[in-house]
Amino acid sequence: MTNCIEIKRLCKSYGDFTLKNIDLTLPGGSILGLIGENGAGKTTTIKCILNLIRRDAGEITLLGYDNVKEERLAKQDVGMVLDECFFHDTLRPKDVSKILAPAYKHWDNQLFLDYLDKFGLPEKKLIKEFSRGMKMKLSLSAALAHHPKLLILDEATAGLDPVVRDEILDEFLGFIQDEDHAILMSSHITSDLEKVADYIAYIHQGQVVLSDAKDNILDSYGRVGCTAGQLEAIDPRDVLRVRRGSFGCEALVKDRSAFARKYPMLLVERTTLEDIMLFVGKGEVK
Amino acid sequence: MTGLIMKDLLVMRKTMKSYLLIIVLYVVLAYLDVLNYGFIITFIQVMLMVLPITAFAYDEQAKWDRYAVALPLGRSRVVGARYLFVLMLTVITTAMGLVGTAILTLVHEAEPLEMLLTLAVSTTIGLLVPAILLPLCYKLGAERSRPYLYAIIFIPTILVVLLAKIDVIDFSALNALEDLTSAVLLGGLSLLPLGALAALLVSYLISCRITAGKEY
Repeated sequence: MTNCIEIKRLCKSYGDFTLKNIDLTLPGGSILGLIGENGAGKTTTIKCILNLIRRDAGEITLLGYDNVKEERLAKQDVGMVLDECFFHDTLRPKDVSKILAPAYKHWDNQLFLDYLDKFGLPEKKLIKEFSRGMKMKLSLSAALAHHPKLLILDEATAGLDPVVRDEILDEFLGFIQDEDHAILMSSHITSDLEKVADYIAYIHQGQVVLSDAKDNILDSYGRVGCTAGQLEAIDPRDVLRVRRGSFGCEALVKDRSAFARKYPMLLVERTTLEDIMLFVGKGEVK
Repeated sequence: MTGLIMKDLLVMRKTMKSYLLIIVLYVVLAYLDVLNYGFIITFIQVMLMVLPITAFAYDEQAKWDRYAVALPLGRSRVVGARYLFVLMLTVITTAMGLVGTAILTLVHEAEPLEMLLTLAVSTTIGLLVPAILLPLCYKLGAERSRPYLYAIIFIPTILVVLLAKIDVIDFSALNALEDLTSAVLLGGLSLLPLGALAALLVSYLISCRITAGKEY
C-alpha cells in the first residue's frame, strides 16, 4: 500500500534556520503527531509539504504523487487546517462552499452542511462573529467536505478549550477508521497527541531527533528522579539527557526496564511526551 | 478558479453594491442632463482601478493567499482568477457603458460617437492600470502598491497639463481628428482596448513569474 506521506532527506535553509534531512513516513490508517518547540521546524515542514515554500533538497510525495511536479493531483485528496482561519470576516459559512466547490472534484455540499450542523455552526452568520473554536471547526468542515484521504493539520487545536478539542479529536479518530486515511498533525498540546497519535516525530532545531510509534516511546522511555550523587554514579551511556535542579536531578532513559534492572535502587517512572520535550529542549547530555 | 472569482465577488459584494447604487444615481442624473455622460464613465473606471487593490487588501487581512496557494489549483490559476475578476469587471462596465450610450442615443437623440470614444479610452485605461498595478500588488502587497496607483493616475495627467502649458504639446493638432471620418476614428480607437488587453496578458505572465518564486 502507498504511504500517505513520504518525506525523504528534506532540506530547507532560511539563513538563520535550517531544516536538515527530514525523513518522515505516514502509513494509511494512522495519525502522525509532529512535536517540537516554537521555531523548531514543524510549520516549515508542513509548508514544504503543501508547496507553500520551495525546498532546497529532498523529495515529498503525497498519496503517491510528487507534491511539486504533480501538485494538483497530490493535493486533490488532501484536506488542510492551518493555524489560522483564512476565510474573510465578511464571508458566511455557506459562502465557503461556493468558493471551495470548484477547487475539489469530490466536493460534497451536503457533507459540508452536515459538518456545520454537527459542529453547531450557523451557516448564515458572518465569520467575523465566530469564536476561535468556531473558526477552527469551520476550517475543519471545509477540510473534510471533499472526502479527503489525508488531513494535514498545523496547530489546529491550539487555543481551543478541552471540550472543543476533545470533539475535534473524536472526529480525527473517526476519520482514520478507514485504512486509506491518514492524518499528519503538529501540536504543542502533547496530551492530545498521546490520546490519538499512532506515531510521533519530534523535530528539534530543524532535525528529527525522535521518530517512532507512540506506544513504543511511552512504553520504553522513562524518567529517573535522583540526587546529584546518585546521578554521578549512573553510567552516562544509560541516560539520554539530564536536568539538574536545586531540589534534585532527573534523567531521561531510553529503556525503562533495562535501566530498572541495572539500577534497582532508583525509581524509574513512565514518561510523557511533554517530559521528553523538556529533557531535549532544556536538559543536557551527561 | 471560478471559486476564487466567486470569492472576490462575495468578499466585495457590499463595496460593489454601494458603487452600483452610485452609478445608478449618476445615470439618472445624466438622463436628467445634470451630469455629463463622460464623467460617469470616468467615475466607473476610477472605481474599477481601486477594486483590485481593495481585493488584495482584503486577502492580506485574512492571509488568504497562503490558503489559496495550498489549494489544489497551482499558483498560476490563483493569479489567473484575480486577472479574470478584473477583466470581468471591465467587460461588465463596458457593457453598461454601451447600454447607456444606446439609451442616451435613442431617448435623447444624442450623438453616440463622442460617447463611444470616451468609452474606448476609459476601457483602455481600466485595463492598463491593473496591468501595471497587479504585478506590483503581487510583488509589494496592497498597502505598498497604493501610492503607485495614485502615481499611475496623476503623474501622466500632471505631465500632459504641464507639457501643454509650456507648449510642448499642441492640442490644436487634435482638431485634425475632426477631419477623420467616424468609421476611421472608431476603428482606430477600438484598437486601444485590444492593445490594453495584450498588456494585461503580459502583466499576467509577469505576475505568474513573481508568485512562482514567492514563499507563503
